[in-house]
Amino acid sequence: MKEVKKMDPTQVGLAMIGAGIAIGIAGLGTGVAQGQVGAAAVGATAENPKMFGKGMIMMVLPETIVILGFVVAFLIMNA
Amino acid sequence: MLRPEEMTRAVVVGSIDSLGPTIGCLYELGILHLIDFTEQDEEFKLGQPLATASGSSQKLLKLRSMMRALNIEEHKPSAKIPVKNIEWKLEQALVNLDLNASTKAESKQRIQSLIREKEAEIRALEPIASFDIPLDLYEGYDGLSVFTGTCASDPSAALAARIRGYDLSIAARKADFAIALFVMAEGASEAPKILQEHGFQEAKLPKLQGMPLAIIKKHKADIADLEKDLDRIEKDLENIRHEFADFIVASEEHLSIEVMKAETPLRIATTANSFVIDGWIPTSRAGELQTALNSLCCGLAFVETLPPEKEDEPPVLLKNPKPVKPFEFFIDLVSTPKYDEIDPTLVLFLTFPLFFGFMIGDLGFGLGLAALGAFMRFKLKSFPDLQKLGTIVLAGGIMASIFGLFVFAEAFGVPFHPPEAHPEEHSWESVADIPIHPMLDKMTDIKEMLALSLLAGWVHLTLGFVLGFVNHIHHDRKHAFAKVAWLLILLGLFVEIMYIAGGATWTSGFVNDTVLVWAPHVGADVAGIKLSYAALALIIVGVVGLPLTEGPMALSEVVGLFTNLVSYTRLAALAVGKGAMALAFNTMLFPLIFESHNIGIAIAGVAALFVTQMFFVFFLGALSAGIQAIRLNYVEFFLKFFEGGGKEFSPLKYFRKHSVATK
Repeated sequence: MKEVKKMDPTQVGLAMIGAGIAIGIAGLGTGVAQGQVGAAAVGATAENPKMFGKGMIMMVLPETIVILGFVVAFLIMNA
Repeated sequence: MLRPEEMTRAVVVGSIDSLGPTIGCLYELGILHLIDFTEQDEEFKLGQPLATASGSSQKLLKLRSMMRALNIEEHKPSAKIPVKNIEWKLEQALVNLDLNASTKAESKQRIQSLIREKEAEIRALEPIASFDIPLDLYEGYDGLSVFTGTCASDPSAALAARIRGYDLSIAARKADFAIALFVMAEGASEAPKILQEHGFQEAKLPKLQGMPLAIIKKHKADIADLEKDLDRIEKDLENIRHEFADFIVASEEHLSIEVMKAETPLRIATTANSFVIDGWIPTSRAGELQTALNSLCCGLAFVETLPPEKEDEPPVLLKNPKPVKPFEFFIDLVSTPKYDEIDPTLVLFLTFPLFFGFMIGDLGFGLGLAALGAFMRFKLKSFPDLQKLGTIVLAGGIMASIFGLFVFAEAFGVPFHPPEAHPEEHSWESVADIPIHPMLDKMTDIKEMLALSLLAGWVHLTLGFVLGFVNHIHHDRKHAFAKVAWLLILLGLFVEIMYIAGGATWTSGFVNDTVLVWAPHVGADVAGIKLSYAALALIIVGVVGLPLTEGPMALSEVVGLFTNLVSYTRLAALAVGKGAMALAFNTMLFPLIFESHNIGIAIAGVAALFVTQMFFVFFLGALSAGIQAIRLNYVEFFLKFFEGGGKEFSPLKYFRKHSVATK
């Protein structure tokens, strides 16, 4: 963090905005995808409770996107 | 533990005369999982239902219709009734009930439908009640069209302007106008259009004679009489219910069991003189079968046991010690493991409370959850699923309290001591000086918590691949070695992350110095990212191994493994998120409580604090922590080794809730 303080505040600000965008938009993408899968999973579980586990696995697959967003944001913040 | 109960194939044979007693004996014992007989040939045919089947089913049918009629399907008897009593009284009770209950229930239904009919007629007649026209004059004309019903607005002006030769009776009501319109033939096509413009809704008149008002009056009197009858019948039915409900419910249960037993021969092979029952029994109880058959069936049937063959798929009965058993609930939600697969319940028992406890990490909320879990576990005896869930919540709550007490040193989002950087913050110091200081602070040691989460992820995933290796090694070596390749890649990724982290956190420093001390700590700087040679070597070996074992498509999942590992950072994220949420509410509301110097505001502050803490932090926090903790197991962990799709062990067995078997 000491190095960051020496940097141009504009650059630091832009980097923070970049990190925010990286995780924000990735989260949005995950949300859109999970919404659709989740609706189907809830329907399937209502018909057969044994589908809960399988539905959950399907539902969390899009989370990869937000995790990659998190990693990128983390790298930007620490660069 | 880790392996399901071992099964032995058992074949029970005997003479056809002893089929009934043998089936009874098997149901009593409750350990034989029957294999349905399907391949009929010249010798072996499917069995015929036992002689008692048809009589019992008929009685059962009668009892069930009686239960519907008396509305006692949900009735819970106060005491159990011995089977002997049921069998003695059943015939007589059925005749008695047939005479009383069935006829009464039928009359009740008839009266109810009659009342509904009359009420509908009253509703239809109400609009025209104020017009002094007998009901039979509303129909039967050649040259006249008749419209009766209601209009949203008054149509008389429009009718006067556009048609001639009509007679309109109209009465304003609360929200609309009731009308009766008689139109000569020439206006018959225009009239409906005008009415439509005024929001006309037709009322179909019942086919009755007399003045509408008089009919309504008579109907109302009839309904009052009918309701009196209904009350009387209802009282009689209530008496019958009081006297017979327990007996009917217990008999229904007993007869269901009898029918189930009597129809079992439809699933087994018989010849003209003998029967063959093929099934699975837990090896540990194999001896009991012959003993039971000898004592209960006077040695009329014989058992032959065989070890399972390779192509057999025995049913799966999970075998876990008592404290671990409730966690089978999570396995049931996904799929039953296969017979030769590892049962991951024990791992869930260890990791779920650990993950859950770390994410909640608060003494106050932990104790609250433990109390909630204990209540569900010990008080909700009639809901087995909730009981299991209660045990799980109890374990999670205890773990959360331990983390809250020793690691995070906080209760209800308030630290035991204020952080060094903010000595003015509220803490439990104002109540008591607790001699425990936090090892981790949720607000400042975020990197440390991330490193800890990644370490937990690496251990968990490694265990997943090891279990996958064990699952495959006996029948599919190639897949087993693929797991080794994955293990190497995972280790490479972990070495790389720890190399980048270096000594930035205590955890990474510790891991580098102990667990990963063998990995040479050298690397290059590639595009601003530090790259460890050891990690690179491990990943390359793994990536080369994958196409050779699992096929080239597996390479596309290498990035997936990285996200799997990073996915565990949710442990830290949720812990920090929950801590921040509790801190935010406390910061907003504590000044109201302690500094307002106004008892009213202070009480409102306490109430708001209670609600926000309870709802946002306690329930939502516990829910999300629970879901994330199980998700890490289902997705990241299970997918490394678990296939599922096993057949659940369901032996010939029955449960008596409302009746007691008598010898």
